[in-house]
Amino acid sequence: MLDPIANKLSQYMDLLSARQKLVATNIANVDTPNYRTQDIDFASALQSAINTQTPSIIERDDLPMKTDGNNVSLDRESRLLAENALRFNMASNLMKSQLRMVKSAIQEGR
Amino acid sequence: MGLFSALSVSASGMSAQRLRAQVLTENLANAETTRTAEGGPYRRKAVVFESAGASNEFDAALASATNSMDGGVTAREVVLENSTPERRYLPGHPDADKDGYVLFPGVNPAEDMVDLMGASRGFQANVSAMSALKDMIKSSIDLMR
Repeated sequence: MLDPIANKLSQYMDLLSARQKLVATNIANVDTPNYRTQDIDFASALQSAINTQTPSIIERDDLPMKTDGNNVSLDRESRLLAENALRFNMASNLMKSQLRMVKSAIQEGR
Repeated sequence: MGLFSALSVSASGMSAQRLRAQVLTENLANAETTRTAEGGPYRRKAVVFESAGASNEFDAALASATNSMDGGVTAREVVLENSTPERRYLPGHPDADKDGYVLFPGVNPAEDMVDLMGASRGFQANVSAMSALKDMIKSSIDLMR
C-alpha cells in the first residue's frame, strides 16, 4: 500500500486477527467433546505471511487432555486473547504513525 | 473480514452455552415431575455440542467465499438420559402403582448446579473474547482518523 513497512504491518495485523479468531473458536468449543485446541505456529506463520502465504492451522496435542477428549485450556486462551489484542493495538498505533507521516507530507508539514 | 467472522464464532459459543443453561434449568425445574407427555416421570436432558468447523476443504473454501461462519460451536441435539427413576413409597399419590410406589425422575440437582456453573463460566469466557475482538475492530477503525 504505502510503503514496505505499512505493508508488513498490515500482514502482521491480518495474522493477529486470524489467530484471534482461532482463540475465539477454542473458547467457543471449551465444552465440545473430542475437540483439540487449534493454533497457528506464530513465528513461522509470520515469516510465510511476509512471503504472502496463508497461515496453516495446527492442532495442539501437547496440552493436558480432559476426560471427554477436549484439551482447551481457558487460562491459555485468555492469555492469548489479551496478548493478541495488545499486539494488535501496538501494530495499529505504528500504522497510525505511518499514516500520520503521509498526511503530514500531503499537508506540506503544516 | 477475519475479525467480523470471529465475532460470530464467539456469538455461537454464547448461544450454545445459553441453550445448555436453559436445558439445565429445565432439569432443575422438573426434578419432582412425575407426569410427562411421553408417560412416566421426567427424564434428564443433556445438550450435545459439536464444533462447527469446516470438515473438508470444499466446506472451508465455500465458507470463506460466502463469508459465512466457519469455526464456532453448535448445539447438535438435546438428548434424554436413561437414568433409573427413583421409587418413593407414596400410596396416596395419584400416580402411585398398585404397590403404592411413585416413580420420580433420577435428577441429581447438585449435578445440574455444577453444570450450570460451567455454562455460566463458558458464557463469560465467550463474552470476554467478543469484547477483545471488538477492541481490535475499534482500533482498526481509529486508523482512519
